[in-house]
Amino acid sequence: MKKIKLVKPKPPVRREKNRSKGVSQWNIAWRRFKKNKAALAGALIIGFVLFLAAFDALIAPYPPNATPGFYIGEARVAPSLKYLFGTDYVGHDVFSQVVYGARSALYVGFGSAAIAMSIAVLVGLISGYYGGFVDNILMRTTEIFLVIPFLLILLVFLKVITAVVPSGVGGLSIVMIMIGLFSWAGNARIIRGEVLRVKESEFIEASKALGASKRRIVFRHIFPNVLHTIIVLTTLMIATAILVEAAVSFLGFGDPAAITWGQQLQKANEAVKEAWWEGVFPGLFITLLVLGFSLLGNGLRDALDPRLRE
Amino acid sequence: MIRYIIRRIIYLIPLFLGILIIVFVASRIAGDPVRLMTVQNPHITAESRQALSEYYGLDKPLYYQFFLFLAELFQGNLGNSYALRGGTAVTTLIGDYAWLTFELQISALILSLLIAIPIGIMSAKKQYSKLDVSVTTTSLLGTCIPVFYMGIIAIIIFAYFLGWVPAGGAHSILAERYPFGSYALDGLWHLALPAAVLTFATLAPVVLLVRSSMLEVLRQDYILAAKASGLSDRSVVYKHALRNALIPVVTYVGLYFGGMLAGAPVTETVFNWPGVGRLFVEATTKLDFPVIMGITVFITIMTLIANLITDITYGYIDPRIRLE
Repeated sequence: MKKIKLVKPKPPVRREKNRSKGVSQWNIAWRRFKKNKAALAGALIIGFVLFLAAFDALIAPYPPNATPGFYIGEARVAPSLKYLFGTDYVGHDVFSQVVYGARSALYVGFGSAAIAMSIAVLVGLISGYYGGFVDNILMRTTEIFLVIPFLLILLVFLKVITAVVPSGVGGLSIVMIMIGLFSWAGNARIIRGEVLRVKESEFIEASKALGASKRRIVFRHIFPNVLHTIIVLTTLMIATAILVEAAVSFLGFGDPAAITWGQQLQKANEAVKEAWWEGVFPGLFITLLVLGFSLLGNGLRDALDPRLRE
Repeated sequence: MIRYIIRRIIYLIPLFLGILIIVFVASRIAGDPVRLMTVQNPHITAESRQALSEYYGLDKPLYYQFFLFLAELFQGNLGNSYALRGGTAVTTLIGDYAWLTFELQISALILSLLIAIPIGIMSAKKQYSKLDVSVTTTSLLGTCIPVFYMGIIAIIIFAYFLGWVPAGGAHSILAERYPFGSYALDGLWHLALPAAVLTFATLAPVVLLVRSSMLEVLRQDYILAAKASGLSDRSVVYKHALRNALIPVVTYVGLYFGGMLAGAPVTETVFNWPGVGRLFVEATTKLDFPVIMGITVFITIMTLIANLITDITYGYIDPRIRLE
């Protein structure tokens, strides 16, 4: 009888070293984003304004609200080397004021967007996933906020709050909170739509079959799949919030103690004939920053949306 | 069709009530209406305050006051202004200012649609061409410039440096200033700059919308079929594609119109245009609540009507939408 030779099986070849590393979703998105020149330009603009806001005291030649031109008869002088963007009616250096305005714009932009998007995500997720009665109530409320003449109500509330709350309290934060509280509706609706779309997918069905709880499905499965939409909407929301704050300040309902670009435009509007530089530069910065966030938002949409992938 | 319209109208009622409640709450947070009403009268006595409070039902509970307000509203009575023109009725005030607001907003809306649709089509027909890139870039920039900044720049260039048009207002004060002595021409002359700026501001998002909607339609199979059957490019684009591409545009017109009306305070302030928007800013600064509520109600109703018309047209032009 022939003896069967037992051959020890070869250990499996460890291929990990040779195998190319898996590319994560974020990696793919980043690769696509890098190719988009417009989006990179947007990011660059935002970086520039962030830099201005972070080092405003070092960049601005004069302290906040200083009136270097006032006592020496240099109020409302045209741009020169001494005053890069000229001076305004009381001799503020327009360049310094524009630099200090960066922080207010970013503060309101990020803050309002954070508030608005928190509400929008919560409403969108709950409404989209639970459906039925809850969805009905939430969506009717959303519709009220959509049809509401947003700017009018915002102005009234700002005026009322500043009339009731003693001066010096809140200020710019009140403006930020009010903008946030009134501008979530459109985004909530979009997120709800996305949730409805994801909810029908097979992997949600599978997860249900495995006995996952509702909370787990919403936060572990649905949320990550609508995250790309949320990121894009947040970026665009920042742009909108900056525009709204500028409009509110322009109408004189902003925080009078803060230095904002909208307020500078309001002052400038009283004297565009005599001093064009008072308004042109602050407005240029509003436009630039809003453009930055819009470009970034559009770029992120192209980079993150899996349906646009080839 | 009529059933559909009635359903839409019934559907709008809770929306309208919700908005009224929000404004009403704001008006009561602001403080005692009697105090706001009599702020300009230093000689008022405690008794007359009391009498006023009873007269307006302010001693009653809040929900009762709200129903009182509703009852007056449905009789077309919005109360009298606290601070403007010696307590004129709010309806008279709005009546005096609304026409100018409509004149500006509607001319801008129509002009921007007339310009945006052809531009959007051309841009979509030659996607990624030089024309398309410059159109989309300009439009994107247009959506980023605040309308008041655009207004200020336009005033600096066209009113001050070039001197072609007046910088603000709706009419010359002196009759000698009327071009060719005509009041109507004077109105047009004053309308030109605000309408142009507002047109440009509204134009940008509409161009982007028409373009993307057209691109989507041009990708459809039936367009390929139309091309394959030998129809000319012109006929394919204008006869087959355009009709379907305009459907989303129609939906947005209603929304845009509401947005433009709500943005009236800003546009009218830049151009010193005496419409309801500027009236609203003035009233809000003075916490003049009857006027504030009146204008909000007015603009909300206009927005809701615009939405209703949009909904109906939408159902009418898109056979895929069932009107039941």
